[in-house]
Amino acid sequence: MPAFGSEGWQNSPEAQLSDAASLKPPRIDGRRLRSERTKQLIIEAFLSLLRDNPQMPTAVQIAERAGYSVRSIFERFADLNALRVAATDYSLAQALALAPPRGADGDRKTRLHSQVITRAQTCERGIALWRVLLQFADQDETGQLKQRVARSRETTVGRMELMYKPELSTLPDDERRQLLIALEALTDIESWARMREQHGLSFDEACEVWIHAIDRLLPTIPAVESAAA
Amino acid sequence: MSDTPDAPVAADEPPRPNRVDGRRLRSERTRRLIIEAYMALVRETGQMPTALQIAERAGYSVRSVFERFPDLTALRIAVTDYAIAEGRASGVLRDLDADRLTRIKSQVEQRGSGCERWLPLWRVLSADAAHSADLQQRIRMIRQLVVMRMEMMFRPELSAVSDDTRKKIVLALEALLDFESWARMRELYGLSFDEASAVWVKSIDRLLPTASSGP
Repeated sequence: MPAFGSEGWQNSPEAQLSDAASLKPPRIDGRRLRSERTKQLIIEAFLSLLRDNPQMPTAVQIAERAGYSVRSIFERFADLNALRVAATDYSLAQALALAPPRGADGDRKTRLHSQVITRAQTCERGIALWRVLLQFADQDETGQLKQRVARSRETTVGRMELMYKPELSTLPDDERRQLLIALEALTDIESWARMREQHGLSFDEACEVWIHAIDRLLPTIPAVESAAA
Repeated sequence: MSDTPDAPVAADEPPRPNRVDGRRLRSERTRRLIIEAYMALVRETGQMPTALQIAERAGYSVRSVFERFPDLTALRIAVTDYAIAEGRASGVLRDLDADRLTRIKSQVEQRGSGCERWLPLWRVLSADAAHSADLQQRIRMIRQLVVMRMEMMFRPELSAVSDDTRKKIVLALEALLDFESWARMRELYGLSFDEASAVWVKSIDRLLPTASSGP
């Protein structure tokens, strides 16, 4: 439907120009695009180095891995803390994209399996960055790393609230809060790392530990489940 | 009592104890004061102290510190050993034969107090552990001691299930009763000692199976 009800206007040179303009793709700033791409490659190099060796890499190592100069890094990031913050934002966005809530409407067993596997995969991917975050959070005067750590925890708790809503909704507020705190402690990223690194559990074995424990911690809702059935 | 050879000895004096090496005693005392200075600084600041800070707090020179510890990692290991010994001495098992709820509360009270006392040191040591195999070994030992204690306190319940289930429950309890789990309750969620204890008591009670009725 035309924006204006006049046929004359539609055929006017102004309208044709306007149509042409709306069809034309927005002008792409190639320089900005390249700079954004470089930024992303630097972040990916940083994350890749962390996966290889869970220690904070140096600027030289990051530059070498990304294929740029050290100067290029500091042209895009004020300092290594800014790079850590950007890498965290990138990873948090990636984690959310890779781990959408699945099976939230399923039965208890389905929801348990789905939440545990999603969380375990996130822990598996994110442990190295998480440790660097915690290591540097206290030194970060901007408070941005602590803010990311808090946001990450909130996301984890929010996901559990969603996945275990049927069980949690049967509890009074204070008991629900207590249970969420316990679930968060149980499924902490370091809890996962200990099972895998120290106790030598496989991915599936470690998932089983969490599933078993969460199942014991969550209240049963026989009336609701049987009514649904 | 003097330990010099010229000291008068009464004929009816009881047998003289083994000669005490005063120099060694003083050196041991200096060592202990340096360790205590380190722990006090960590509790106050939550940061790893420098050699200068440690020396000042202990009332010795930096040289004295390095005469007794070749480097700060050696000092950290000595601090950890001291803390483990103190933790073991103060963490006597209580209520081992009591009913389930009493044992859970006793365990939580002891563990909560331990976390309150040792959290700053735990954090400093954990942050530095990657650089020292000895420190990593101590951290593992502390974790093992915590787990062993839980296994003893909750033996009636844990012995009622299969090995596989017991292992799963113990791993879950270890995660739940971790130092950082306690720290989050206190620092992030702002719970009081009693409120945080209540979270643990309730969760442990849910995690533990019913004890076998016994013979």
